[in-house]
Amino acid sequence: MKKLALIGMLLVAVATAFFLYFRESAYEWSLPPDLPPPAVPDDNPMTEAKIELGRWLFYDTRLSGNKTMSCASCHIQALAFTDGKRRSIGSTGEIHPRSSMSLVNVAYASRLTWANPLLDRLEDQALTPLLGDNPVEMGFGDHAEELAALLQTEANYRALTAAAFPADENPYSLLNGVRAISAFIRTIVSFDSPYDRYMAGDEAALNAAETRGMELFFSERLECFHCHGGFNLSDSTTHLNSRVDAVGYHNTGLYNLDGEGAYPEDNTGLFDMTGERRDMGRFKAPSLRNIAVTAPYMHDGSIDDLADVIAHYERGGRLIEQGEYAGDGRLSPFKSEFVRGFELSDEERDDLIAFLNALTDQTVLTNTRFSNPHLN
Amino acid sequence: MLLCAACTKPYLGVKIPFKATWGDTEISCADKDVQLSDLRIYLSSVQLLDGAGNVRSVDLHTDIPWQQSDLALIDLEDGKGACRDGTSDSYAYLVGSVPPGDYAGLRFTVGVPFDRNHANPLNAAAPLDDPAMHWHWRSGYKFVRAGVTTADDGFWIHLGSAGCQGTVQNISSCRFPNRVVVELPGFVPNEDVVAINLKALFDGIDLTDGIANDCSSGPAEAACLAPFAALGLEFTTGDLTGQQQVFSIGR
Repeated sequence: MKKLALIGMLLVAVATAFFLYFRESAYEWSLPPDLPPPAVPDDNPMTEAKIELGRWLFYDTRLSGNKTMSCASCHIQALAFTDGKRRSIGSTGEIHPRSSMSLVNVAYASRLTWANPLLDRLEDQALTPLLGDNPVEMGFGDHAEELAALLQTEANYRALTAAAFPADENPYSLLNGVRAISAFIRTIVSFDSPYDRYMAGDEAALNAAETRGMELFFSERLECFHCHGGFNLSDSTTHLNSRVDAVGYHNTGLYNLDGEGAYPEDNTGLFDMTGERRDMGRFKAPSLRNIAVTAPYMHDGSIDDLADVIAHYERGGRLIEQGEYAGDGRLSPFKSEFVRGFELSDEERDDLIAFLNALTDQTVLTNTRFSNPHLN
Repeated sequence: MLLCAACTKPYLGVKIPFKATWGDTEISCADKDVQLSDLRIYLSSVQLLDGAGNVRSVDLHTDIPWQQSDLALIDLEDGKGACRDGTSDSYAYLVGSVPPGDYAGLRFTVGVPFDRNHANPLNAAAPLDDPAMHWHWRSGYKFVRAGVTTADDGFWIHLGSAGCQGTVQNISSCRFPNRVVVELPGFVPNEDVVAINLKALFDGIDLTDGIANDCSSGPAEAACLAPFAALGLEFTTGDLTGQQQVFSIGR
């Protein structure tokens, strides 16, 4: 009998060790062959336990000051983790100057947000929507200590946090919460669009119109790919094996308020960060993955649909005839050299839109790994 | 002998109080006409000057939560009234030690020293641990949060370093440091008060047009011109080139 009990205890110990090993084991990226994994900060390695904790926190409205808003309020899975609004609205009703950005493949972004050259880690970026007060987004600034309490006192979070940060004497902290959310967001990768399948060798994945649209997209005539190129369709892309710090900011001629290239004062882009006049109206070229489901477009949501986006680039800059933003963006002295304008036939325009629609990855929009765990 | 002399060196305890004013009138979060809506300021490098030209650093006491030995948070709002976005704690004075002397002058820097300004705020010690005082997207702290509200108007400023270069975990420099060195000749510690005059800070801001403006130290913000000038800061460089008009000796 004694021997049996001993064997039983041994089995339990082995099972526990195996379980702990699984929880702490490095995350296995699910990526197409030949694609390098994202770079991950040394102080926040990916583990399954941490990702699971981050997923619960991402969808938890208790991370806002008035308990009405979670990360997911502005990053909705079905919309490729955008919110469908021109400009996002914070938990207390303040309207953000910018439009919510997609989180898909953000692990590959060399810089975060529309125009902040300082932000290269999700762990740092997350503090602005959580704690910032200008504008108030989640409005958690005066409540930050509540997160540590939530992690420590609620049974589900207590177990998840202990498993996610097993080496920490006191793992219940805002810092660890932010680390977990960042780890979860890094797992939102997308390489299963018709375009990806085509690139992987399945020529039937794109139809004739989509293929013609792809050729237009990658042509010198349209120049789209100069800023929206590479495997992530953004020139601000990095990965584990990157040897250069690739970052691109571009003025696409959306505004020219004063004839000298000025953008609206609350949305001057890179200029607001650097104070260099030449940075006026320069914004990051976002990844175009899932672009068909992330309307409205541009940093301020000022273009409603893809047809109007293409019309903007066809003209080589936007003309606003009247109102406080009147001006001809085509004539901006700061406009990118790649926004020169082009002419398309109606059929070509349809083809280009067909190609952009082929960048939609239904898998990432529906994968339950990224869905709200509180609803289960 | 020298070591022993150092450790038994006598010192003078000093207390340096602060108050918020609108012109000559002290204001609070619950006043009638012009209400304080926020007033929190990081100070560093606090020094006293004596008549002989000696400059002595004040060693701030670290047994109170708003001071490090060379840095402090002055907080003159109480979270009530128009300061509802603030905190209930108020930190209205500095306390520290200096070598004995006959002091008649005060100097301090409005701002957080560069190294601590750009370290990770989630690991920072008090008083650098208040999320409301950190500027996560610009990197660094808001050296000054100051604002007033009137019946249907108001203005607030967040002053801090801008135009920083590098990345958040590795800032190399900031194009607009926006630190203000304040010197108040004649200031007598343990007797005088530092008055922070928001009417002077917001001189030139229209507080009757019904449009509540703000300045968050961005290079395109026209609303920053007046408060920057009042602080002696050159708006286009962030350098201290003028004479500040905001801090004075109050009694």
